[in-house]
Amino acid sequence: MPTYVETPRYACALGGAIGAVNALPRTVPILHASLGCGGNLNAALGPAAGHAGSSYMGGLASPCSGVQENEIVFGGERRLSEQIEATLDIVDADLYVVLTGCMTEMVGDDVDAVVGTYRAKGVPIVPVATGGFKGNSLVGYDLVLRALFRHYVEQGVPKQPGSVNLWGIPPGLDVFWEGNLIELRRLLDALGLKVNAIYTPNDNLNDLRNAAAAELNIVVSPLYGVDAARVFEEVHGTPFVQLDFPIGGHGTRRFLLQVASRLGLQAALVDDLIKREEETYYHFLSRSLDAYNDIDLQRFAIIIGNVNYAYGLTEFAYRELGWLPELVVVNDILIDEQKESVAAGFASLVPELAGKLVFETDNSRMIEHFSRAWSPSNGQRYYRSFSPSFVLGSTLDKELADAVGAGHLPVTYPVSNRQVLTRAYAGYRGGLTLVEDIFSVLLQAR
Amino acid sequence: MSYLALKTPPIREERLKACNAYGGSAGCLLKGSKAGCLAQTGRSFLQAAGCQFTLSLASINTIQDSVVLLHGPLGCGVGTSMVANGIVKINQGNRGLKQRGVVAVSTNLNEVDVISGGEQKLREAIVGVDRHLHPTAIFVVSSCVPAIIGDDIDTVVRDVQPEVSAKLLVLHCEGFKTKIQATAYDATYHAILRGLFEVDPRLLPPEPQVRTEQVEAREAAEERLRKRTVNLLNVSSMSWVDEVELTRLLNALDLEVNIYPCYAHPDDFIRTTEAALSISICPTHDDYFLSHLQELYGVPSMITTMPLGITNTRKWLLDVAGHFGKEELALRIIDSEEREVRAAIKPLIAQLKDKTAFVCAGEFRAAGTALLLEEDYGMKVLGVRAFHYDSFADDIFAQLPRQDEMNINVAPWQPFEQANLLHKLNPDVFVGHVGGNVWAAKEGFAVIPIFSPSNSYLGYKGIFEMANRLERVVRNAAFNKRIAQQVSAPYRASWYDDAPFKFIKQDGLA
Repeated sequence: MPTYVETPRYACALGGAIGAVNALPRTVPILHASLGCGGNLNAALGPAAGHAGSSYMGGLASPCSGVQENEIVFGGERRLSEQIEATLDIVDADLYVVLTGCMTEMVGDDVDAVVGTYRAKGVPIVPVATGGFKGNSLVGYDLVLRALFRHYVEQGVPKQPGSVNLWGIPPGLDVFWEGNLIELRRLLDALGLKVNAIYTPNDNLNDLRNAAAAELNIVVSPLYGVDAARVFEEVHGTPFVQLDFPIGGHGTRRFLLQVASRLGLQAALVDDLIKREEETYYHFLSRSLDAYNDIDLQRFAIIIGNVNYAYGLTEFAYRELGWLPELVVVNDILIDEQKESVAAGFASLVPELAGKLVFETDNSRMIEHFSRAWSPSNGQRYYRSFSPSFVLGSTLDKELADAVGAGHLPVTYPVSNRQVLTRAYAGYRGGLTLVEDIFSVLLQAR
Repeated sequence: MSYLALKTPPIREERLKACNAYGGSAGCLLKGSKAGCLAQTGRSFLQAAGCQFTLSLASINTIQDSVVLLHGPLGCGVGTSMVANGIVKINQGNRGLKQRGVVAVSTNLNEVDVISGGEQKLREAIVGVDRHLHPTAIFVVSSCVPAIIGDDIDTVVRDVQPEVSAKLLVLHCEGFKTKIQATAYDATYHAILRGLFEVDPRLLPPEPQVRTEQVEAREAAEERLRKRTVNLLNVSSMSWVDEVELTRLLNALDLEVNIYPCYAHPDDFIRTTEAALSISICPTHDDYFLSHLQELYGVPSMITTMPLGITNTRKWLLDVAGHFGKEELALRIIDSEEREVRAAIKPLIAQLKDKTAFVCAGEFRAAGTALLLEEDYGMKVLGVRAFHYDSFADDIFAQLPRQDEMNINVAPWQPFEQANLLHKLNPDVFVGHVGGNVWAAKEGFAVIPIFSPSNSYLGYKGIFEMANRLERVVRNAAFNKRIAQQVSAPYRASWYDDAPFKFIKQDGLA
């Protein structure tokens, strides 16, 4: 495996961190970094994430110390103070989060000390060390959550039965994060839980501040936000459960049953919810029986995405659509230990497809994996071609789809050719939306 | 003086005394520029902008058959590469090139590399890219981190060059080195001039053994062609439509046009040395390249005018024609073009006349667009923002009307100053460079983007198309206005009553 990454499908830790801050209500990042970091990452956070927009004060409006050679030689603490003072002077926010870039971490600025003087005065401001070299966007997402849980969430709040926090769906890196969280929150609300999902319009900073009241943290990811969950448990004593990202009837039923069992909810309550939701779900899904069976909408599939979507999309394609995933690519940057656990999780989710999973970060190598997964033609008369087929991946995977003659729907990051607002693919409603979107591609010419 | 012996070009603060912070009238700006006292300004409040990575990638992402090797942590340049992919593909298609999009690779420097150095990773990446993707050229673009950890990129590249078939080019694009993003253009051209101007002897035609009449006739024909061939310098944010328009006008002067640098092939750059003239549309973009081309290869250049609006398109064409002694032909073309475009925009400018506008873009585009709106459409420009300022722009800023009232703001984006100014000036329409227009939209202004990879702005077509778009935007700005009523801007109410340039200071750290 090469040490370099071809056409990275993530930004750096700072990028993920900015995304995680911008998605909070009335929260403003203060970048203590080179001038260009914020501007360059803007493309990764907005246009590459379904044109998510510049948020309340993100993008080119993000306050930034813009350190230059002078600060690198003599230290940037004075410049950071100057920038914070000016920000407080003209910017109206409920929370400020200071995010460091590579340069200011490498020169050793004591950011905690600078920010500490403002915290001591009662300014709602939190420092997070997010130098880009610490990893990709997912690391940045985790770092921001960890810092918020340590420095913003109040300690010593009494636990409230039935109160839960929900995360694991990173803003931006999941292009449909907000819609997905809204849908999962809706389902948990329907179980009678008091939910803090941090990033939906129904959440606010006050609930985040009181997040320690939760009796359980639900992390909807095998990887993302797990370190943050450990920090939460250490600081506030709330245990966590890791659940797979649910898309459609099969995954969402499991998700709800796991939450109910972990919280010891009454079986009747969750069964009743599942019954009602599935009634609606199959009421709509059954409409596509005509098209599916008259036009034959079954497909061989290639699925490319981060681990959340690789799991969710594969399970959905295989168990709900009756499709045949022949290649599943996880494009996260992972260490061997993580790869083993991701592969094991995948094998328990869809044992029939365990051999179809590969780890690959490089665009140009996707086709090589495909050639191994599907025997190429050697000119024989009766060659079984990879047809009809479909690629569920990112905008960048259009080329692969064209190369193998497959249909294509961009779902996983980056998605630069769709406008995403409330769209969700998680949960029951998300499953229906995904069917609408996929089948609409297949029916486009009609 | 040539800078090519240096590893990196000088930054623009030093080479051109470029300034990135100013607020005041056009008249005062020009006085300051002439006195050379603009460059030392800075801000004590700053908002994120681009760096050398942004603008260098904008150009090199487009070079045919090349790979952009980003030497730094994952974030450096990836956003630009991901988002440019689709646009580059469209532009490749327009030009009949293979639609391969942007191929960018990151060395992904991590915490270990920050301590132990990134040279080995860079070497592996160069070799890996060469073997696996076999491009004609690899542009190694290094960011802040390698500079701090002391990676000797030039030595790595020199040592590994014999092992690879791709031509290796080095761009030092540390963001912390300069406040002037446009230094990136110099870094890009510096790499191209150092890396792509050696002729591979295998590509030269064999020297004819016998000088037959045929050989001499062919050489004479080549010489005639050379004498009427020009380099047209494009910029990445310029559309293919604009290239077609400018090529049409130059063809009308009986000139052959080759276009560089965007979408050119690495092997093509050497041919710039054979042209009779280089024609720029933007000094900010091309002065470094063209001054070297002139000094080292004797190719004269024309660089002072952007063909934007009737006056400046006329001047641009006459300057080119003057070089070839074709003024009369040019005047005939210009007269007929002007007559036609004036008639075409007449019904549109009836709707635009006396509407007020505010313009924000690079120094030349901003002033050029302001002149287009004022002179050709009869609009009233209330303010002009330039991303930076240097003396190259003195002539065009001197052309702006109402010198002592014209509000000028020099700022690399900095939407907070813009929000304050717009609140005070309240223009009918905001005309802004793509990328930051949301911040005017959020304040409820009608917005029209200038310079996008798909729209027409330059030449006579541009005069018509811009009026066309402006009329439609001014007619209904409901989208921005309705949202702005519901969504609050992030600044305190007091900021709008404050002095817009209160954070600009002579000794500002940023």
